[in-house]
Amino acid sequence: MAEEQKDAKPKKRMTATKAAASIGPMVKEFITGTLKAKAEGEQKIAYTFIVCHHEEIFRAMDVVPVWTENFAGICGAKRDAERFLQRAESLGLSRSLCTYALCGIGFDQWREELGQMPPDAPWGGQARPDMMISSGQILCDPRSKWYQASQQFMPDVPIYNIDLPYPLFQRDQDHRDVWGYYHKYIVEQLRGLVAFLEEQTKKKMDYDRLRELVDLSDRTWNLIEETYDLRKAVPCPMGTGDAMNTMVPINFMMATQQAYDFFLNLKKELEEKITKGEGEVDNEKYRLMWGGGLPAWFALTDFNYFNSKGASFPVETTYRMVAPLNEMDLPETKDPIEHLAWRWLGYWTLWYDKAKKRPGSEPDVERLINRIEEYKIDGVVMHEAFSCRTWHVGLIWQLHQLAKIYKPIPVYMIGKDGKKEKVYRELPSLILESDIIDITSYSEVDTRNKIDAFIETLESNRLNKAA
Amino acid sequence: MSDKQGNIFSTVEKYYKDYGLRAKELKKEGKKFIGYVCSFVPLEIISASGCIPFRVRGDIYEPITKGDTLLETIVCPYYRSVFDLSVKGKYDFLSGLVIPHGCDSMVRSFSTWSHSLPYSYFHFVNIPTVCVESSFEFFSAELNTFMKSLGKFSGKGITDDDLAGAIRIYNENRDKVRALYEFRKTDPPLISGTELTKVLIVGSSLPVGEANTLFDHVLAEIRQRGRSPVKKGPRIFIDGACLDNIELIKLVEEIGGNVVADTICNGARDYFPKTDMGKGPIDALAHRYLDKVNCPKTYRENKAGTFEGDIASRFGDIGAYAKEFKVSGAILYVYKYCDPFGFEVPARKAYYKSINVPLLSLEDVYSAGTIGQLRTRVQAFLEMIG
Repeated sequence: MAEEQKDAKPKKRMTATKAAASIGPMVKEFITGTLKAKAEGEQKIAYTFIVCHHEEIFRAMDVVPVWTENFAGICGAKRDAERFLQRAESLGLSRSLCTYALCGIGFDQWREELGQMPPDAPWGGQARPDMMISSGQILCDPRSKWYQASQQFMPDVPIYNIDLPYPLFQRDQDHRDVWGYYHKYIVEQLRGLVAFLEEQTKKKMDYDRLRELVDLSDRTWNLIEETYDLRKAVPCPMGTGDAMNTMVPINFMMATQQAYDFFLNLKKELEEKITKGEGEVDNEKYRLMWGGGLPAWFALTDFNYFNSKGASFPVETTYRMVAPLNEMDLPETKDPIEHLAWRWLGYWTLWYDKAKKRPGSEPDVERLINRIEEYKIDGVVMHEAFSCRTWHVGLIWQLHQLAKIYKPIPVYMIGKDGKKEKVYRELPSLILESDIIDITSYSEVDTRNKIDAFIETLESNRLNKAA
Repeated sequence: MSDKQGNIFSTVEKYYKDYGLRAKELKKEGKKFIGYVCSFVPLEIISASGCIPFRVRGDIYEPITKGDTLLETIVCPYYRSVFDLSVKGKYDFLSGLVIPHGCDSMVRSFSTWSHSLPYSYFHFVNIPTVCVESSFEFFSAELNTFMKSLGKFSGKGITDDDLAGAIRIYNENRDKVRALYEFRKTDPPLISGTELTKVLIVGSSLPVGEANTLFDHVLAEIRQRGRSPVKKGPRIFIDGACLDNIELIKLVEEIGGNVVADTICNGARDYFPKTDMGKGPIDALAHRYLDKVNCPKTYRENKAGTFEGDIASRFGDIGAYAKEFKVSGAILYVYKYCDPFGFEVPARKAYYKSINVPLLSLEDVYSAGTIGQLRTRVQAFLEMIG
């Protein structure tokens, strides 16, 4: 039985790669950089959200993005979110809402009330923005509500809400039949963002520079894919625990040379590890997939706990928000804005064709199946964060669908020589429950007891297969 | 539906208690019912296709059981209840279901719905988050896609004339509801909130023509009333999302309040906005559903540049109703886990303060188990404002 350990200050998670270990200082530098930029006043500061495919536009316009989810995550990881959550609650906001948003709103309201950073603000605090770029459509209702709520105490800070739809998977519809008007709309929305930034910065967009940055992002996307593919190796050289660090350059630093160079170095490091046969764990017994859900940022050491049982995480769906561009079949265009819109649509519809070919599948399920096969996965772990409906609704159903394929009984399949083969395709799953940053929802003992029971199931399967 | 005037409230009661009864009768005659869950679904398109829209409801008295084996408990309890009843077979008479992007839970659970229920047709309608020229154009295209998809399912190509006809009859429907609300203006109101809510809920389970007939009969019945069915009391406004049962309103009226107006989805949000007939039918529907349905899911730009100006613009309909219906207090009723409404609570509170309407803000879990707590809080509120 695991023993209760819920320290006020988090223990540092052990990383497998040097690259992942370098992320903490990088984020701190980034946060302090935004504060410095604010103090110098030469660049405009914009609150905004990840996974909007607009980083290139910001960087081309020399606008400094402040990723508000990132700052809330930092508060969570430092176990210092509670006071901001409580402040948001005191305004009338329910704790059941997105706790990233509650933390951010609580922090901002406090900063505005004081006229300076709240006391002992994590890493110096979050800079007051000159503008806020929210987003709507499909991805996350709180994104269009958060900054609107913040305007109550920052009415002078203008908002541009960018709409980014994509066609939802529907079996009776080919997404290509409708994505023409989706593309047109997204292009208009992105051009609206450019116009808004031009107005705020009093500068014109440099489209040559934008084109270069889009090209840099595209190359980074492909490089990330090549790098993460290396995790298919047995033993796996880097797990999801580390990927929760390396998500930083993917999601917060895209369209920078620094992000590209980071993945060049990580790729090299992983290749060296593979050559030496070094895995995330010394004696890899189980290969797990983090199949859905944002992590509990205050409890990342749970990954180390899995590792201590011989479990590695070669792959995750969370925060791997890039995909190989050559698999997307994107229409050619020289207009970088149009390309961004196609890339957006290409990313979200990547699994649609494959899903259609498998009865009972859906893109999210298809992605899981492909990852399970490619990365030789023995079990799936998910995390249900109570405050986030965006990423956590549908996970139970996805596991139901997986269970129809990976049955807990021997299955007869046609082997390569055309003969029937008895194979075991059982795939145990585990759903952990807590939150992204609200530590009051978390019990280390319960979580680790669940992990222990899950590991026992994996071990039982392993022995059955061996027999 | 053949009840005579005078018996109309017994008919309403019958269809309210046995929700879907009329749909089951008509299903036997070969009619196809298409379920929907949110004010954003364009009913006119469903009717124009020859199908009949049917608003699926939850049930606060039914424990959520089977639904929780397939859908996360972090979804708002109203939506979970609707899903639970659906997977338990309550709405198996439906031929299909349309889900719009009304909130994250609707989007993220679309696969769950479409794989868990036995209906032949499912469609997701994407709703833009903003009201600008390009979003109306996009939404018109999305409605065209829906129209083609449903037309293919129903076997009936939908023409502009079909749509124009459907728009006309739904506008009549909304006029009749507006006329019903007029009876709430007397003090005490000539129709109770409980009665009206039942009528509107039942209306959303009937073919629009039958709903119009029902509303006509109710209107005639009320016109003949000599006196109000409720005693004079504080005039209460209900603000919130989908309230598909009478329990909260009944509770307010049992304690002595008069529920006289609302913004709820089964009330003013669904029924007040009309479709402009001057435009092409699809464009007209795009404007009606995107701009006129005032849901917090839609981002409204702060054009005033001040917080006060922003809330006056976003919640101006509340202020107008409060004035029109001479409201003396309001109840903001929000479900736990509802992000679109939940994030607006502080701003809405500020707005009520700005128009000097006392407010009781409630967060609830769509369960009969909380009625006792609600009663205590509502009673204290009514005493305070009474």
